[in-house]
Amino acid sequence: MKTNSRLYRKEAYYGYLFILPPVLGFLIFALFPALYSVYGSFTDWDGLGQMNFIGLDNFKDIFQDELFYKAMYNTLFMMIGIPIGLALALLLALGLNRRIPGTTAFRVIYYIPVISSLAAISIMWNLAYNGDFGLVNQFLDLLGIKGPNWLADKHTVKPAIMLMMIWKGLGYTMLLYLAALQSVPKDYYEAAELDGANAFHRLRHITWPMVKPVTFFVVVTGIIGGSQVFTEVNIMTSTGGPEYGSATVVFYVWQKAFGNLQMGYASAMTVILGLFIFIVTLVQFRLDKSSDIHE
Amino acid sequence: MAKKGWIPAVTLLVTAGLALSGCSNGGNADAGNGPASSQASGSQSGDGSDKSGSEKAELTFMFRGGPDEQAAYKKTVDKFEADHPGVKVKIITTAADQYATKLKAAITGKSAPDVFYLDPGDLKAYVNGGVLLNINSYVQDNKDVDISKVWKKGVDLYRYDGQTVGQGDIYGLPKDLGPFAMGYNKTMFEKAGIPLPDKDKPYTWDEFIQVSQQLTKDTNGDGKLDQWGTGLNVTWNLQSLVWSNGADWIDASRTKVTIDEPKFAEALQLFADIQNKYKATPSIAEAQTLDTYQRWMQGQIGFFPVGPWDLSTYAKLPFDYDLIPYPAGSTGKTATWIGSLGIGVSSKTKYPEQAAALVMYLTASEEGMKMLADAKVQMPNLQDMAQTWAADTSSKPANKEEFLQIVNDYGRPLPGILTYNAEWYNLFFTDIQPVLDGKMTAADYVKQEQPKMQKLLDKAIEQEAKSKSK
Repeated sequence: MKTNSRLYRKEAYYGYLFILPPVLGFLIFALFPALYSVYGSFTDWDGLGQMNFIGLDNFKDIFQDELFYKAMYNTLFMMIGIPIGLALALLLALGLNRRIPGTTAFRVIYYIPVISSLAAISIMWNLAYNGDFGLVNQFLDLLGIKGPNWLADKHTVKPAIMLMMIWKGLGYTMLLYLAALQSVPKDYYEAAELDGANAFHRLRHITWPMVKPVTFFVVVTGIIGGSQVFTEVNIMTSTGGPEYGSATVVFYVWQKAFGNLQMGYASAMTVILGLFIFIVTLVQFRLDKSSDIHE
Repeated sequence: MAKKGWIPAVTLLVTAGLALSGCSNGGNADAGNGPASSQASGSQSGDGSDKSGSEKAELTFMFRGGPDEQAAYKKTVDKFEADHPGVKVKIITTAADQYATKLKAAITGKSAPDVFYLDPGDLKAYVNGGVLLNINSYVQDNKDVDISKVWKKGVDLYRYDGQTVGQGDIYGLPKDLGPFAMGYNKTMFEKAGIPLPDKDKPYTWDEFIQVSQQLTKDTNGDGKLDQWGTGLNVTWNLQSLVWSNGADWIDASRTKVTIDEPKFAEALQLFADIQNKYKATPSIAEAQTLDTYQRWMQGQIGFFPVGPWDLSTYAKLPFDYDLIPYPAGSTGKTATWIGSLGIGVSSKTKYPEQAAALVMYLTASEEGMKMLADAKVQMPNLQDMAQTWAADTSSKPANKEEFLQIVNDYGRPLPGILTYNAEWYNLFFTDIQPVLDGKMTAADYVKQEQPKMQKLLDKAIEQEAKSKSK
């Protein structure tokens, strides 16, 4: 088919015009800075003056940097929150999918944290976690438990921040599951019931596989987002927590780049983080594909 | 099939791109070829600034501060504009904790504001990196401003000759000095029948602990403590103990971390013991000052640090308080630190003369300083004005003289600002929690921490050498 008629050309012209803004935006605000930071990772750039090429020195230093490993460990540790959030969200969605009164109100309640400002929420939880007069410990007091000073103890600071992130993301995941649940055809369940499947069987063999695309999406975006946690940590533990117990990789990057004038070193860490995300996501897509084939 | 493989590939590319750029959004977008041209125009305008009388010189001024402070500075800037008809100042303010990030991002993106606050710890990096303008000649030539009237210790923080801070040309002027004094709750002492501390003779450590323990008690008989001797924050109060004991974080050459000396460990141990052994502070694991700060304001704390920036808030305290020197360790001499924040001019400004004029108006002029001091947001920078300010005993605290003594006599800069960056110094406080919790002795801690800090200091020194060679 020949496409060089005037109409086609005009259409193509407008088409490109329409996609131009997002493409330009991506090039200017994402791709160019990303490439620039890859270049920066091979230099001793301090963010102020010249950039001298120093080869792989930054990377060599990073692999001997105790704090980098600590930050990486903290980042991975807090990802434990992803499966927990997933399970809770699915349970909530199953609950709200029934025809009981008040579901709309619950949906709104669970969704409010999602649309609230992350900074505001972090400040609120910061107060809630206060060891002396925080809401969390006051509640535990009622149960006769003496709560720790959550954000000042290296053992509790990560779970505390993780809990907040689960709470914040719950409504979003729940909504995705709810949509997925509602698109599961009713006759599957009816057929299963006729065959004598109990509630657990139905969940295991119908619901779970049917919502799998959502699970996959949430896990992938969760890991990508979880690798880049920063605001919560910065607000709730402005120095990276007791013994650097809550500092994430991005937090460390920020400290290096804007606190210690080591933009090159910081760039190198973002390159490592970017590669990490790339590889993990690639593996996930492969796994997802292979499990599709077997079904 | 081929079509299907496309989507994940693109998604991966985009996400990887986003992940990388998330941290490097610092205005790189225009860093490509913009700087060359803007630099050229910046240097050319040096001689063209006289002509700018016909058109308005527009300056940007970026700063931070609490609501009271922002209002006071805005008012002072308005007055500056009224006095300088050819200049218009555009004010950019940020939240205190975001200031450093925003400023550094602007500098990296080659769009630094004309006039901005700077941390004295960044002075060397900013001068070596060509960020700051040398304003020495403007300061010398200004007829309205006499720099010798401003605290020498303050101005010296912003002098740099390429080797040593404190010598050479002026690259900025202190917005203010923040002598960090010790305060005490006078009303609490009187109620407890404890003789008031001497304002000229510091307590010994033993006396300090004794009095603190006496003040720590249950006043309403409900079995719970509701009044404590003190509640200090390690990040801001350990310096006084360490220095008054003859120790320091770093040696005189600023190349060796000296925390592993016994005198240092002794001071750190005392700090932890005030909480764990002598039990003269509120609850354990108490690292968040918010609590002790609130408790001090409610009259539950005996000794608490006071800076000049606190005065407007503390004027409303429901009790009487005053200032004293910090307790002295084995040297018998009291010690504390002086904070400062400077105001500098960007080397890329189109209007260096006007920008320098604004800096001097805000830091060293009679009119400007009077407005800021009247707003009670700081101690005056001009020595004679500060004398009058301190002599006014009608407002709390009566012994404001202590602030002047700190500046003139026993105050020192924080160790972190003496080196190219403060990473080594910050690590000390990052890892300190086990000592505060009493799970590790100070002696073990300093032994374990010294090599780690030394490594970071070496790196900072290396970085400094590199920045000079550029």
